[in-house]
Amino acid sequence: MNRLMSLLLWPAIAIIGAFSFAALALGRGESVNAVWLVTAALSVYLIAYRFYSKFIAEKVLQVDPSRPTPAIRHNDGLDYVPTNKWVLYGHHFAAIAGAGPLVGPVLAAQMGFLPGTLWILAGVVTAGAVQDFIVLFVSVRRDGKSLGEMIKMELGPIPGSLALVGVLAIMIIILAVLALVVVKALTGSPWGLFTIFATIPIALLMGCYMRFIRPGRVGEASAFGVVLLLVSIFLGRVVAEDPAWAPLFTLSGPQLAWALILYGAIAASLPVWLMLAPRDYLSTFLKIGTIVALAIGIYYVAPKLAMPATTRFLDGSGPVFSGKLFPFLFITIACGAVSGFHALISSGTTPKMVENESHMRLIGFGGMLAESFVAVMALTAACVLDPGIYFAMNAPGAIIGTTAANAAQVISGWGFTITPDMITQTAKDIGETSILSRAGGAPTLAVGMAQILGQALGGKSMEAFWYHFAILFEALFILTAVDAGTRVGRFMIQDMLGHVYKPLGNTEYLPANLVGTGLCVALWGYFLYQGVVDPLGGINTLWQLFGVGNQMLAGIALLLCTTVLVKMKRQRYVWVTLVPTAWLLITTLTAGVQKIFDSDPKVGFLALAHKFSDAAAQGTLLAPAKSIAEMQRVAFNNYLDAVVCGFFVVLVLAMCVFALKIGLQALKEARPTAHEIPPLAGAQGLPA
Amino acid sequence: MSAESSQGDAAAVVDGDGSPLLITGQAGLQRRLRSLCTACRQLFGMPDYERYLAHAAERHPGASVLTRDDYFVQAIERKYGKGGMRCC
Repeated sequence: MNRLMSLLLWPAIAIIGAFSFAALALGRGESVNAVWLVTAALSVYLIAYRFYSKFIAEKVLQVDPSRPTPAIRHNDGLDYVPTNKWVLYGHHFAAIAGAGPLVGPVLAAQMGFLPGTLWILAGVVTAGAVQDFIVLFVSVRRDGKSLGEMIKMELGPIPGSLALVGVLAIMIIILAVLALVVVKALTGSPWGLFTIFATIPIALLMGCYMRFIRPGRVGEASAFGVVLLLVSIFLGRVVAEDPAWAPLFTLSGPQLAWALILYGAIAASLPVWLMLAPRDYLSTFLKIGTIVALAIGIYYVAPKLAMPATTRFLDGSGPVFSGKLFPFLFITIACGAVSGFHALISSGTTPKMVENESHMRLIGFGGMLAESFVAVMALTAACVLDPGIYFAMNAPGAIIGTTAANAAQVISGWGFTITPDMITQTAKDIGETSILSRAGGAPTLAVGMAQILGQALGGKSMEAFWYHFAILFEALFILTAVDAGTRVGRFMIQDMLGHVYKPLGNTEYLPANLVGTGLCVALWGYFLYQGVVDPLGGINTLWQLFGVGNQMLAGIALLLCTTVLVKMKRQRYVWVTLVPTAWLLITTLTAGVQKIFDSDPKVGFLALAHKFSDAAAQGTLLAPAKSIAEMQRVAFNNYLDAVVCGFFVVLVLAMCVFALKIGLQALKEARPTAHEIPPLAGAQGLPA
Repeated sequence: MSAESSQGDAAAVVDGDGSPLLITGQAGLQRRLRSLCTACRQLFGMPDYERYLAHAAERHPGASVLTRDDYFVQAIERKYGKGGMRCC
């Protein structure tokens, strides 16, 4: 019976998927319904999960349900806890889903909905989900060790240390770019800023409640926390309309950048129960709730995709990010297709909670499919918007100007007809004064979500509420990431400083902690500030730098997986990781080299730096810089970006060499040489 | 749910094959509610004092256990003390 069901079910899913793709691809000239896009994605996920992940689990990895996992062997009720597979699936998904899959696809929408969709789907099946699944497997077989430790174990101490420096560098860029997304969303938006600001006292209140009033009652505190959050959205409107309060919450970009830097330094120094933990609960609720609501909303409203399948910006002349489809689409989409950062989560808390090896397929592979689905929905929300509105929100002020009239004229000139009235009306609908040049993904997604959720619940009058709800949802987990990430960065920096001067490595020593936190905040703060004052919009530069770093990290994780497969003597199946590794290396190295050396100043860091420093030397001012000093700063920052990008390129090339050397050695061995915990290692007596 | 707790008091929400919430009856309802709460706490990564007590009773019977306050402080510190990597 089951067999018969399966025989009928999978061809049916394949037909539905094929039909959806046909609707997407053949619907030229008329707008396509978003439901086809989402359905096509779901069909791909189901088929990939059913067949490809099963193949990887059974043939490539040969997962063994009888082999005790770290959670079973070390069960301590604290870190190592055997967890139901569906619960852990949700937990893992909540840990990997962040702002990345929301921002990248929105930026990539400038090339139309089709290129982004195709890469999100192809990338997740062949690279992203494979990486998450295999890293989880490798970590579970090594007592839940972290990525850095596993690279050290399997590739050697030098690659291990190199990878750690790489992770720190990528984290600094991520923190800067995430903070930049918040700045772009909140600049000149008293309503938004008030709601985000209100999350601080709400979290403090929850923290004190859980600590002193009703110790440990997290559920109660979270329930009133969520209610207070919703109240703060309504209050935000009152504040924004009040002539006395509104100016207090209307900040410029640089002011917001300083506020965030200060926030990061203070938040990361507070006890964790006071703000980080309660904020994290709120952000997880909102994250899961909003994603589910958006999925239901898209099916319920069934909006049309206003963005064409492809646009003229495939040629690299787009205003949102510069560079051609290859390689920059792959760098821009990043997290929704494959994200190196997931390798850190898949080798972090999740492997310590896996109850049975057979669950890893759902948690690792399936978890990444869900993340990819979030990216598809973000892309959908951006493409539901009128393309004119999309470009008004995402093109930098240096290109479209600062007035609705000017922007409408420029954007209509590109062939996306729009009137100034439409731009101002959209701003009015969402309760903002301007929507121009709010790059960074969050605001665009929020407008798309507001239109979808508004149509489902509350109509036009509720759009402003939904817009600010969406901004709150993103800003909340970005601020949590800034806080938690600064702490991680501090520990890594202290660890490194400890090698230079021992007392600085002592994490119990307050002055050393302050030095570590200060350095971490200063590093990401520098890149943030540079992005905020960047005349070309900041996101344009920083997001691509982040994309290169993140994809490089994925390349490193996949190199580890490839080496482990060879060491396990499964070289027959090595293509499963080798093909995505090769593709990631090709795209990211091409992008990295182009970002540094391309002669077009819109693409190459060095070209732009030369352009500004040469002009400064001759004393001519280049718009939009206003002084020679400002021009020299633009030049310096671009040299710096080139150095960071070059570091990523060199790092990944070095890892390639190490992996190749170890892999070739392992090929010659007759027996498996991977450092796995033996299957029958006793349940007791092992150090945790 | 953990391997041992699924036989114990805090019943499993879902069994290994994924058939959900099929426990019925009066006592079943209470167990169902409790296991739902446990599942939610695990899903959101919240500290779970009841699960800790069950674990302690089973693994280390007779040994002294942490109070709810102390457990909460320790659990939060373990989870967030080093920051915890967040995804982009």
